Amino acid sequence: MILTAIRTWARQLCMLSILLLWACDDEITVKTSSADPILNIDAWINNKSETQHIYLTLSQDYFDNKNLPPVVSGALVTVTDNEGRVYEFAEDRTSVTGAYSWYPAKGEVLGVVGRSYTLMVIYKGETFTATSEVHRVPPVDSLTLSYREGQGMMDDTYSAEFWATDPAGKGDTYWMRGYKNGKLLNKASEITTAYDAGVSSGSGFDGVTFISPIRLGVNANDLDEDDRPVSPLVNGDSIYVEIHSINLSAYNYLAEVVSQADRMGGISELFTSAPLANVSTNIVNANKNGSAAVGYFNVAAVSGLGKKFYF
Amino acid sequence: MSKYFISFSPGAYCGIFLLVLAAAATAMGQNKFTISGTMKDKSNGETLIGASIYVKQSPSSGAVTNAYGFYSITLPQGLYTIEYSYIGYEKIVKDIDLDGNATVNVELPVLSRVLDEVKIVDESRISTSRNFEMSVNKLDIKTIQKLPALMGEVDIVKSLQFLPGVSQVGEGSSGFNVRGGSVGQNLVLLDEAPVYNSSHMLGFFSVFNPDAVKDVKLYKGAIPAEYGGRISSVLDVRLKEGNNKKTEVDGGVGFIFSRLAVQGPLVKDKSSYLIAVRRSYIDGLSTLLTSNNFGLNFYDITLKTNYTLNQKNRLYLSGFFGRDNFGLSDDAKFNWGNKSGTLRWNTVLSSKLFANVSAVFSNYNYNLGFNQDENNKYSWSSAISNYVVKPDFSYFINSNSEVKFGLESSYYQFNPSKTVGTTNGETVDSSQPKKYALEMAGYISHRLKVGSKLEFQYGIRFSYFNYLGPGTAYIYNDTIAGRKRTAIAQRQYKSGQSIASYSNPEPRMSAKYQITDQASIKASFSRTAQYVHFISNTSASNPLNIWTPSTNNIKPAVGNQYTLGYFTDLGQHAEYEFSAETFYRTTTNEIDYINGAELLNNDRLEGDLLSGNGRAYGLELYLQKKKGVITGWVSYTLSRSELKVDGINNGKWYPTRFDQTHNLKVIASYTINQKWSTTADFAFTTGTPTTYPNQRYLSQGILIPYNTTNARNDARLTPYHRLDLSLRMEGKTINKKGLARKNHDFWVFSIYNTYGRKNAFSTYFSQSTDRVTSYQPIQTQAHRVSIIGSMVPSVSYNFKF
Repeated sequence: MILTAIRTWARQLCMLSILLLWACDDEITVKTSSADPILNIDAWINNKSETQHIYLTLSQDYFDNKNLPPVVSGALVTVTDNEGRVYEFAEDRTSVTGAYSWYPAKGEVLGVVGRSYTLMVIYKGETFTATSEVHRVPPVDSLTLSYREGQGMMDDTYSAEFWATDPAGKGDTYWMRGYKNGKLLNKASEITTAYDAGVSSGSGFDGVTFISPIRLGVNANDLDEDDRPVSPLVNGDSIYVEIHSINLSAYNYLAEVVSQADRMGGISELFTSAPLANVSTNIVNANKNGSAAVGYFNVAAVSGLGKKFYF
Repeated sequence: MSKYFISFSPGAYCGIFLLVLAAAATAMGQNKFTISGTMKDKSNGETLIGASIYVKQSPSSGAVTNAYGFYSITLPQGLYTIEYSYIGYEKIVKDIDLDGNATVNVELPVLSRVLDEVKIVDESRISTSRNFEMSVNKLDIKTIQKLPALMGEVDIVKSLQFLPGVSQVGEGSSGFNVRGGSVGQNLVLLDEAPVYNSSHMLGFFSVFNPDAVKDVKLYKGAIPAEYGGRISSVLDVRLKEGNNKKTEVDGGVGFIFSRLAVQGPLVKDKSSYLIAVRRSYIDGLSTLLTSNNFGLNFYDITLKTNYTLNQKNRLYLSGFFGRDNFGLSDDAKFNWGNKSGTLRWNTVLSSKLFANVSAVFSNYNYNLGFNQDENNKYSWSSAISNYVVKPDFSYFINSNSEVKFGLESSYYQFNPSKTVGTTNGETVDSSQPKKYALEMAGYISHRLKVGSKLEFQYGIRFSYFNYLGPGTAYIYNDTIAGRKRTAIAQRQYKSGQSIASYSNPEPRMSAKYQITDQASIKASFSRTAQYVHFISNTSASNPLNIWTPSTNNIKPAVGNQYTLGYFTDLGQHAEYEFSAETFYRTTTNEIDYINGAELLNNDRLEGDLLSGNGRAYGLELYLQKKKGVITGWVSYTLSRSELKVDGINNGKWYPTRFDQTHNLKVIASYTINQKWSTTADFAFTTGTPTTYPNQRYLSQGILIPYNTTNARNDARLTPYHRLDLSLRMEGKTINKKGLARKNHDFWVFSIYNTYGRKNAFSTYFSQSTDRVTSYQPIQTQAHRVSIIGSMVPSVSYNFKF
């Protein structure tokens, strides 16, 4: 709530400052140094009965805007649950995204609430591991249309609002993921997480309906050519909302991702810019002095609901 | 260097102190009498701070008035010629036949504008080379008013950046950095009331109304023992008392806000008042442009009144109330502000003993509210309240020896967050418990002249802090440095129980050696302790930043500063003043933050804080031309400010966000004629440090920047430079009938950032805002943000009658 608030007023202040021709935000050319690539393990899997992917790539130079991240070939990827079941992720040699996939048999799922899972990646003789526990997830009860009259420099907006209730008991953490017309919304500014029904551990909302910034946090965040926000919904858009249960450390990880990746620029740099720092990881190299790796492993339980909006 | 390089037991220290005091007292001869009194401005009855008293027959016996205009000189019986002088005033010479204690109150006439300043005042007697203080900058309100200001609005905090040793992260950032200290390490006082947020409009303006301010003094080092509680600097802002001769109205109209100040006598020569108000109208402008409730405005009211009970007792009451309102829309509100009040009682207990007792209240708070509908709303507020009682005494033993002593007791109430939210009709109160603390200090210091060349001041402040219940103390686990720590145990404390307490002896000492009449060397050491901490991890602080007490986990910060300086007057009439100062400063328990730290509404905040050490050192050069048609100064600072925190930059030293290797400021004012005058200022500073990524990777389609060396602040922004110009036009001084006009008015035309340089406030890295598929490479960009990215012209009209 608080962060959302700051971000909202920072966004509005940006527009005010543009109006007054104070601040300006220019794209510039900066030379950053080059470095040896490191292994990136992007392993967010869930209990949906569909093919699960773990992506193994190498990091790139920051301004390498021409190439997709190099895929990692020849790694051995497995997930093992605490009861000893092993799920093998096979390399898809045609994949340009570095996918290693597990194909469920009919009705089979990976991710039972209460179980813990260990990821093991063996690559070039080094072993990387991470663990994750699957937590409970509440169902999405309904989706409704939310209309806001244009204010200030904002036009009228139509958004989707989902309704769900956090189960009683402190410490549930979630990642809300929205799909618009079948496409996952995955900008940094579209990351919405919840700690119980609120947005921070201290917020105290537990066992109640998710608070409104979360309920509305599953919408697309796009700007028009003049950098003004676009209404997230137009007539006929379909929205699908998923709640992913995540580990507390994953919740903290995403908070770091937001602080590093969601830069609004302009005058908001005054208030929302934390120093650039490396986002942490839960991936551990068995050899303490071995190569570094980045990325995250989380196994989620997922609930979801979709709706087509006409207004 | 060990942090206890100079370590004293308070007892031993006091012992030495008393011995010297006794020696000084016995050295006093017989038949000595004291001349004491108050120096004032003849035109309005304002007391003069730091005015000079010079005894022709005994040049070494001079004195300077204190913060309340009081002075005391003890001399043997005899005939004396005494000169009373102050910058900008005509001097008064009095012949005194001293054969008993005498009270001599003096009122100095303001220097008429037609007279040439050079002829009137020989300032060498009050020059920095003669003055005992070092690492102190005084900004005269008249000088501040001459500086070209952003939007034409004179601003005290912004003016400080032209002084050596002072830096700022950039335009729009609130506060200031002194000798490598962070913003929250400055003690900002408005008539002795601590100000917890000195900014209006997110940092573009400060809360001090220049029409109400009399004197601004910045202590960068050698901090006297009467000040404590912050480890970097003290900004002591004193308000005017109010004209006690006649009613006076000052005001101004500018682009951003208007000001009006009224002052006058309540009871002639006994009591006066001052009311100064400011109100911005940028919200009106934006309402005009956008026709709704979105906007930002602020107002403030500064009040002061005083009453002279009798020759020996005077009461002062001052108050401040300021508020910023930021309306996002009809259903979202955000406002913040300070309020403070100071009641002071000045008493002359004897011609040698001056006392002041102050009772102070200060509060900073903010409120945020969102109201989507009746069933979905949220309100959040936070505050810090501070109550201070502070008796201070000055004992003028003789003109070579003065003792200052006093006590300070300060009670804090922190309200980290009062939050009530309603979601879908269910209301949840998730307020955090208040925190309480008591800070107490006692000090004593002695100033002693030995012969005609040497002067010492040595003293000690002993401070004590108690973090009080009711409250919960958390114990955190140990983890990899730089990661979030989790609370593994907690303990409840009852009301009044001590949760954690700390104390620190803070020795303060300085010395001056007068090499020649025009030159001196000064050195100092001071230790300072800070028990309340300012929590902010963004480049610039924002109104939501909170203050938090030292706890069982957060240790008090302690700073040690060593300074050495050379001061000299140059030129035939001492029209130039030059100083070179070096400083070395070490600090412990500096606060930094884990990546992704949750600083707001987090009852486990301590788990997100890191602690480390700091060091800063530098050289400050300052050359000022004080007289003539061209006046101004050049200030150059070469310095380094670094932190070493476990979990950041691989545990190695890294420069602070406000570290500037070179910092050059030039100011020149030219009085063309009686009607026109012009001022130019130029600033050049090394770009502040920043961190660049060298790699990138994707996490669920989101591009994350990565620095393989895990460094902090290893790159620099482009250098900052800026030129500002202003032109002042005095209104007519003679009316149509050929008589002198009673009213005085002037126009100020100014251009800020004359050549429109886009100085970088920050450089940030992000992926483009376009939506891409997983089969397209994501485009990364670097952006430069300039807070003032163009030339900003302005006009303001100011009047006085």
